[in-house]
Parts: sequence; C-alpha cells; structure tokens
Amino acid sequence: MKLKSKAVGLANSVLPVLLAFIIGGIIMIAIGENPFETYGILLGKSLLTTKGFLTTLHYASPLILTGLAIAITFKANIFNMGVEGQMLLGAFFSGIVGAYIPLQMNSILAKIICLTVGVLCGAIFAMVPAILKAYFKVNEMVVTLMLNYAVIKVLEFLATGVFRDLSSGYVSTPTIQQNAMFSRLGSSRITAFFFIAIAAYVVMYFVMNKSKLGYETTAIGKNLDFAEATGMRVHRKILILMAISGALSGLAGAGYMMSDQFKFSLSFSGNPGLGWDGMLIALLGAHSPTGVLIAAVFYAALKTGADNINLYSTVPKEIVTVIQGLIILFLAVKFLHEHTPMTEKLKTFFSKIKISKNREAQ
Amino acid sequence: MSIIETIDLTRKFGDFTANDAVNLSVEKQEIKCIVGENGAGKSTLMNMLYGLLKPTSGKILIRNQETVINSPVQAIANGLGMVHQHFKLVHSLTVYENILLGTEIKKSKNSLFIDNKKEIEEVRKLIEKYKFELNPTDKIEDISVGCRQRVEILKMLYRDVDILILDEPTAVLTPQEVDDLFVNLRELRSQGKTIIVITHKLREVMELSDSVTVIKQGKVVGNLLTRDTSESELAQLMVGRDVVLTVKNTQKSDVSDEIAYKTENICTINDYGKEVLHNISFSVRKGEILGVAGVEGNGQSELVKVLTGIMKTTNGKVYIEGKDITDEWPDELRKDGIGIIPEDRYAQGLCETMSISDNCIAGYHNDKNICKGGFLHRKNINALRDKFIRDFDIRVGSIDGNVGQLSGGNAQKIIIAREFESHSKLLIACQPTRGVDIGSIEFIHKQILEYRDRGNAVLLISSELSEIMSLSTRVVVMYKGEIVDEVIPRDTNTTAIGLLMAGIKN
Repeated sequence: MKLKSKAVGLANSVLPVLLAFIIGGIIMIAIGENPFETYGILLGKSLLTTKGFLTTLHYASPLILTGLAIAITFKANIFNMGVEGQMLLGAFFSGIVGAYIPLQMNSILAKIICLTVGVLCGAIFAMVPAILKAYFKVNEMVVTLMLNYAVIKVLEFLATGVFRDLSSGYVSTPTIQQNAMFSRLGSSRITAFFFIAIAAYVVMYFVMNKSKLGYETTAIGKNLDFAEATGMRVHRKILILMAISGALSGLAGAGYMMSDQFKFSLSFSGNPGLGWDGMLIALLGAHSPTGVLIAAVFYAALKTGADNINLYSTVPKEIVTVIQGLIILFLAVKFLHEHTPMTEKLKTFFSKIKISKNREAQ
Repeated sequence: MSIIETIDLTRKFGDFTANDAVNLSVEKQEIKCIVGENGAGKSTLMNMLYGLLKPTSGKILIRNQETVINSPVQAIANGLGMVHQHFKLVHSLTVYENILLGTEIKKSKNSLFIDNKKEIEEVRKLIEKYKFELNPTDKIEDISVGCRQRVEILKMLYRDVDILILDEPTAVLTPQEVDDLFVNLRELRSQGKTIIVITHKLREVMELSDSVTVIKQGKVVGNLLTRDTSESELAQLMVGRDVVLTVKNTQKSDVSDEIAYKTENICTINDYGKEVLHNISFSVRKGEILGVAGVEGNGQSELVKVLTGIMKTTNGKVYIEGKDITDEWPDELRKDGIGIIPEDRYAQGLCETMSISDNCIAGYHNDKNICKGGFLHRKNINALRDKFIRDFDIRVGSIDGNVGQLSGGNAQKIIIAREFESHSKLLIACQPTRGVDIGSIEFIHKQILEYRDRGNAVLLISSELSEIMSLSTRVVVMYKGEIVDEVIPRDTNTTAIGLLMAGIKN
C-alpha cells in the first residue's frame, strides 16, 4: 500500500519532466536540430562528467535551501511566497558585513558571522507576514508576495546609494573580504557551501519526518481544526515554521553571496530568482526533503547544461527555459491519482475505443 | 409486485467485498428499512442503486425491467431519488430556489429571466400536495435542520421520483422533528410513493417501517416484516450476538461530595457577536455523569467549544479540582487531566488523511513516552496503537492505513481509546455515539460507565435523549444558551425533559 502510493508520487514528478523533454525535442526537430544530441550535451556535460557534476552541485546548493524553505511551509498549508525576498535580504546584509569585517579576522569566524547575519535577516524578515497571519489573520500569500517587491526596491536603493561600490562600473556593493569567501575545492566550482546545504537537508529530513514539529506540521497542513483541537497551538507553529523558512532562505542567499557572487548587484539572483526556482523545485520534489534534494540537483543540471548547449551546439540555450516552463505546466496536472490505478484507466480507455470500432464495423 | 429488485448484486473494492450477492426486493408503496452496523455495506448498496457506484456483478431490476444506472441523473430519470445524510443545499438561497435548482422555470422558452412568481406557485402546490410544513420563500440558512430535510425530500419529489431513498434521515433531527418526518413519510406512502430508509436506530424501524432487510458484513441476513419481529431480534441479526439494548447503569459507589469540575457564569459570543451562552453554571462531582440535554443549536456546541479550549469565554470561570482553567489552550486542558471526545469526529477528533498511529497520539504527542527531545518515538507509538486496537477491539483493514478508511464506529473507538487511556480525571464527551453502530454504542456506553466507576467525572453532551437518560446521574437542560433546569433521570420522564428542551418550565 505504502509502496504503491510512493510509486504514484514518483510518477507524478517524473512524468511532467519526461513530457517536457519530449515536447522540447519536438521543438528542436522543428527548428532543424537533433534533440538526442542536444539532450546528450545538456545532461551529459552537467551530470556525467566530474567537473560538470561538481558545477551542478555548486549551483544546486542555494536551490536545495530555497526548495526546503518552501517545502516546510507548504507542507503546513502556509504559503510563504516571500522566499525570494528573504533570500535577497539575507544575501545583501551578509554581503555588507562580509565587505566590512576586518581582513585579519579568523576566516572561519568571518564566515560564521556572515552566514549568521544572512540567516537572521531572512528569519526576522519572515516574521512580518508570520505575525500578521498568526495574530491578525492577514493572508500570508499576499503579504509575502508583495513584500518581495518592497525588499527588492529597498535593496536597490541601498545598493545604488549608501552601500554603492564607487570603484565598480555598475551598481553593486563592495566585494566581500577574502576571509569571508568560500574557496573552491580543487579546480572544481564546488565549495564548502554545498556541504552546508547538505547538512541543512539532513536536519530538515529529520525535522520533517521524525520530529514532533514535523508531525504537527503535517497535521496543520491536513486538518487545521484537528490540529487546533488537539492542542498544537497553530499560531505559534506558524511563527516557528516561517522562521525556519526565512532562516533557510537567508542561508541560501548568504551562501550564494559567499560562494558565487561575492557582491550584491541588481542581477544577484538571476532570472527567475533562486527563490522562485525553489518553488518549482519544492513542487517537483513533492514537498519532501529528499525530493527537493533530487529536484534541486536536476534543476541545477539544466542550468549548467544550458551554458554547455551554448558552447557545444547551435541550439539556442533558451530551449532550457522552454523546457522549464513546460515542466511547470505539466506539474500542474496530476496525472495519476493514488486510488485509480493506471491500468484500470487504460482499460476503460481501450474498451471505449473497441466499442466505437465495433459500432463502425456494424 | 416489487418495484425495485436486485439480483446477486455484488460490489468489490479490491479484495474487500462490500456487497456479496445481495438480493433485495422492495414492494410498491411500502416503507422499507435497511439496517446494519456501520460498515455493513448499506451505503454501498444504496450508492449502486443511485448510480454513484458500479456493481462488480449482478443486476438491478426497476419495475421488473433490468436497468443499468450510471449516474444519479439516470437514477432520477428512472424515478429513483436519494436524500443524503448531509444535505446538499445552497444556504443563501430560498427554499423554492433550492428545489428548482437546475430546472428553473423561465418567463418564456428562450428568456434569460426566471419566473419567480410561477416558481413559488409551483413549490407551494407541491408543499400542499404532500402536506409538508414549509414556507417556500424562507432562506435555507434561517430554517431548522428538519425543514432543510423536507426541502431535500421536495427536491426529489419535484423531479417526479416515486422511490425515495433516505440515508440516516433521523441522525440530525430532534425527537420532535423525527415525529414530523415520520408523519410526512407516511403521507408520502399513502400517495403512492415507495420509501427506503437506511438506519441503525431500531426503535425507529419498528415505528416506521413495513418491512426490514438486515445486512451484515455485506450479506443479507434477514428479510422480515416489521409486525413479525422485534427490536431485540433485529439487533441480534445485525451483530450476530445478543446485545444489551440499554446498558445496565448501576452506580456501584456512591457519588462523593467532592466537586471535580465546576463552571461559574460562563458567557460567550459567536463570530457574529451574538451571545450564545449565558451564565452557564454547573458542577460535576467525582464519580458522576452530568448529562447536558437540549435540542441541537441551543448552545451545546458552543459550550463544548468553550470547555475544550477552541472558543473563548467573555465572562465566567472554569475550575478543575479548584484550579482555574478558564480559557486554557487544548494542550493545557489535556495536561490538567481532561479527556475530550469532540462533537465532530472528523473535524476536531481525527485527521482522516493521517495514519492510525498518528491519530492515536494526537493531543498527547508531548508525552514523555512518545516524544523524546523533540523527536517522536515510533516504536512506542506503534506499541500504543497496537494496544488500542487490541483493547478496544478496533477493526482495521490495514494497520498502516489512514483513519479515513475506517468505519464511523471504529474511527470513534480510536478517539475513545486515546482519551480513556490518558489517565484523565474528567471526560467531556460530546455526541460520543453519533453515527456509530449498535455494537460500538454498547461498547462506548460501557466504557463511559466504567470510567465513572473508577471515581472520575464525566460531562456528557448528547442530542440522543435516551443516551442522556440512561447514563447520567443528573441532567441539566439547555435552552437558548441557558440552563433552564436540572433533573434527575430516575425521578422524571422523557416527556418532562422534552418540555424543558422546548423551553417550557412549569
């Protein structure tokens, strides 16, 4: 029984990806390219070569964290759409602190300070919608979504004014100090930040599957009345879950700052931002920590693969954006339902065909 | 001549046979009751007749013609209508609008506008024809549950059905409303309608029906004429053993004078600012059961909500053993030794989409045995679940399955097990046997009495007057948010309490 529902869940995540790839392939044929070759480059270079795989893991690190940030709140039916904003805020202030810490500070201490600043910024900022939701019943979806734009504008103001690095040719904050940077391991792109992300995954795995908080989260998500009546203090849990979500978002931002960008520019998070990508990843991973981990790596592989397509083939790299869009589209469709076996559906489908054929024959 | 007949009707869900070769035959113009325990397969059978489920094998004959019913629309076209236990009405619309929903009468054939006058006229005629008491222009949200049920019945009658299926029609009604319903149903019978009633209240079967079919574990175990049978025979057929219809309530120990639980002048307002509880004061002593009787909607639900920490008081105090627990959170109340059987089992008591074991710990998941350092102790939880299943005879299909797969009685037993095994001192039991089968009712009643005999206090809130009368030591009657009187069951009778419930005090 459990195995079956797991298989259905897996199929519901894998099918959209497959369909997106098939339609992406058709588009490539239409523009006169070989889809197999392109997909070979796309996935082969980002997953099957050591260097490419490590690059993929590097890009996956912040995505794992934003994915987890969204998964934990969605599991409780709380919709934190503000992961992007919380992530940016964490990134910005960890970057500022990283730029102004003394160079002679112990490098581990420097990193811990920067990460902590990022985590705190994300968590505290997430408290705004959480308090409004828990104590004033304000819809958290609207507040979190709108606060993203507020935070983006505030950071733009700070980056172009107070914290602008005047020596830089474009709008950005000063580069963080050497001792706050995560250095690459060997010749690959991967840094210690990846292991921090993995550690966060392990913690979240236990929190969501084995802990009391995880149990209460599931109950709140599935039946609010029940959770309230059995004494789970839902308003308090909303604060805790939003704080965790914000902290993970802030950690994602700070880590990305210290391992990849090193300064805050207006295109820090890319397009769509890491927070938005996290939403897709959480959906693809069915809000389970392990699902999020796998989905984040897959998604990062598409990102690195896009660059390789540009380098090694004539297919425009935008094809990857098309595929991402298609995945989102197909994810919205639940192909399999736990209680209606596919075989039965197919049977009824074929029996209908048979009947209509028989009629034609008559 | 039978108007509806099933021949070897079978329905399987995977390996589980819900209906096993059921042969049912209903005569024209009779009231047929179908009785059976929860999960016996009554609903499955009716859903097949009404086109909601497809039979795995077997035939359905309507007026001696083999008929395949694929949807409720087809069922209605065949003259077969169903009134569900939970009404499907639009609350903001009026009675006549609900009855004509989907078949509105328009001003002219291609007009966009509805001819309200004609609609009201039609519905009024219908109401008069069947001698129902109803005002077609009342809004559903303003009328009582009994009236709403009449609307549901009229909805079917308007569509010209001559066979009516009613699923547990009395579950939501007050004693007076039940009487009204029976009058209505008899009137319908006299006008040529055939009525099938699904129920497990045997007293009503005896009072209402012409014939009875008893179903047990998916099989028909008895086809009887009502005049040839008795309540106890039916009960025996249903459960396959002798059941004590009313549990023996012998108070072993004398009630001590020690007050276990006390409320003083509780008041509260609902979401609309209306005062729904006014100066409720009562006390429960150790070793006694205090019953709260009343017609539903007179503040009992709100009282339970206030006492279980879901609603806040605006005034008044609640004490357990002298400790002030006014407006405490549900988890604090449980810590203070209060067991709670909530009114709506699937809203406040259980989570249908979570596993049995997860439901077994709900409310007590902070206990040292269950939660260590923030992490759940799965082994202990599963042991607890197995103990519950064994001790309380909970029948589960799959031990790892969800609570939603259990029948009403077994689901209720999970709550009972959870709240009884928590070593509480006071039990707040709200509608503890609503919608559960006879076997489970007997079991639950016994458990409550044993609990009391251990020197604990029980606050019993129920709309089932017989339950209140047979279990309680003392009874308070609620009317319009106030306690109108207190009586002792031994010294009074149902009629007297019925009058109090209607707010008439001599």
